[in-house]
Amino acid sequence: VGAALPVDVLTYEEKTVSAILRVISSGLVRLWSALTLLGFYQNRRCAFRVLQTSPFLLALAGNSRDLVL
Amino acid sequence: MSVPSLKRIRQVPRHLLVCEKGHARHPRSRHAAHVWDHAYNCRVSFLIPECGLLPEVLKSTIADFGEYYLVRNLSVHELVSHEFIDAFVKKGSCYALTYNTKIDQDNTAALLPNGKLILSVDKDTYEELGLQGRPSQYSGKKAMRYAITIDLTDSSFHPDSKKHNRVLWALKDKKPLEFDILLAWYHTGAEESTVMSYFSKHQIQALKPKITFSTIRDLQCPVLDSNELEGKPEESCSTEELFEWLGAVWNQVSLDNKSSSFLSTYCCPQPNTVVEKAFLCTITGFIIPEKITQLLEQLCCYFGEPKLAYWLTLTVHGFADSPVSWRESEHGFHKGGENLYNFVIFRNLDYWLQMAVGSYDDCPP
Repeated sequence: VGAALPVDVLTYEEKTVSAILRVISSGLVRLWSALTLLGFYQNRRCAFRVLQTSPFLLALAGNSRDLVL
Repeated sequence: MSVPSLKRIRQVPRHLLVCEKGHARHPRSRHAAHVWDHAYNCRVSFLIPECGLLPEVLKSTIADFGEYYLVRNLSVHELVSHEFIDAFVKKGSCYALTYNTKIDQDNTAALLPNGKLILSVDKDTYEELGLQGRPSQYSGKKAMRYAITIDLTDSSFHPDSKKHNRVLWALKDKKPLEFDILLAWYHTGAEESTVMSYFSKHQIQALKPKITFSTIRDLQCPVLDSNELEGKPEESCSTEELFEWLGAVWNQVSLDNKSSSFLSTYCCPQPNTVVEKAFLCTITGFIIPEKITQLLEQLCCYFGEPKLAYWLTLTVHGFADSPVSWRESEHGFHKGGENLYNFVIFRNLDYWLQMAVGSYDDCPP
């Protein structure tokens, strides 16, 4: 996916091991599928969990589902 | 692989970004109306370029955001009781929204300031309740989700009416619904807020919105012309470019990547200028339109004195799991529940208003 479909890693935070990726809209399903199916990296088991997606980068700045009271 | 499957892989989820331009002091300006129409807001943030210290009047406006309440395990039938309606719904603007419920999975309830109680429920709950509603617009061919709207201030909803008794019976006896509910009440009366005493028999917490301030140094900001929404090559950036740039700033995305960069090709739109400092403020909680309107007015007054900044922005995020977005338009959660709006206020008090929604939303008004 990274070669055939350009993906930008906009941010990466070491503390939470989370990143924001950017991909063209028509590539969303392929990128999401690739992340879901990626179970190994350099012989180490791994899993990717998609926390939030949006066509608007600004929407990722606020997620009411993270509101903890 | 068949052709329809290939088409589905490339399908783009529907989304809308609408932009309108106006002037904040024009008598027919609709900027305040759009704020009023968006009832449930979880995050309000503003960015002021060329500002290192927030003026006192803005500080006090933010400090005056007031309280909201979280009532645990509250039965919905208590919101349709006439004690509650007379005490809060008819005496001010009462907002309520279920907390920690997912609109695409769980039952959800919301109370609008116009007195309408909206229940968004699954098929089983709808059939058990036996109240009149309509299938969700986004439920597909087979209705799996329903919306029930009850007008608590309707003249036919008085205490002894058949309508009131049926609703009370449905919510109290037939299918009791219980939620953790976020509540806010705005009133202009002199009496102290009585929400705490009214719900004293429940587990109720009074909460203040969380406020954070920060300053960014040497920030690349797009050059904007209030008359050019689509931008002008070499002269100003478009509304879409501004909207994406704002997302990059709030998500702390680096703005000076090169197109040959291996990691990211995102960079600040051109033309842009570097501002020495910019002030950022974020307020999160259960924030009502009345407070946002006051903040918006004070941000317009910011340009009452000469300022270096050419524009500032105010961004408001709605709750992803609210059953409505603007007015009573049904809101749903497909791959995301975005419903947000952003003001760009210029020095001359022209403004741009951008409203963004996802797949399961009507076009904003």
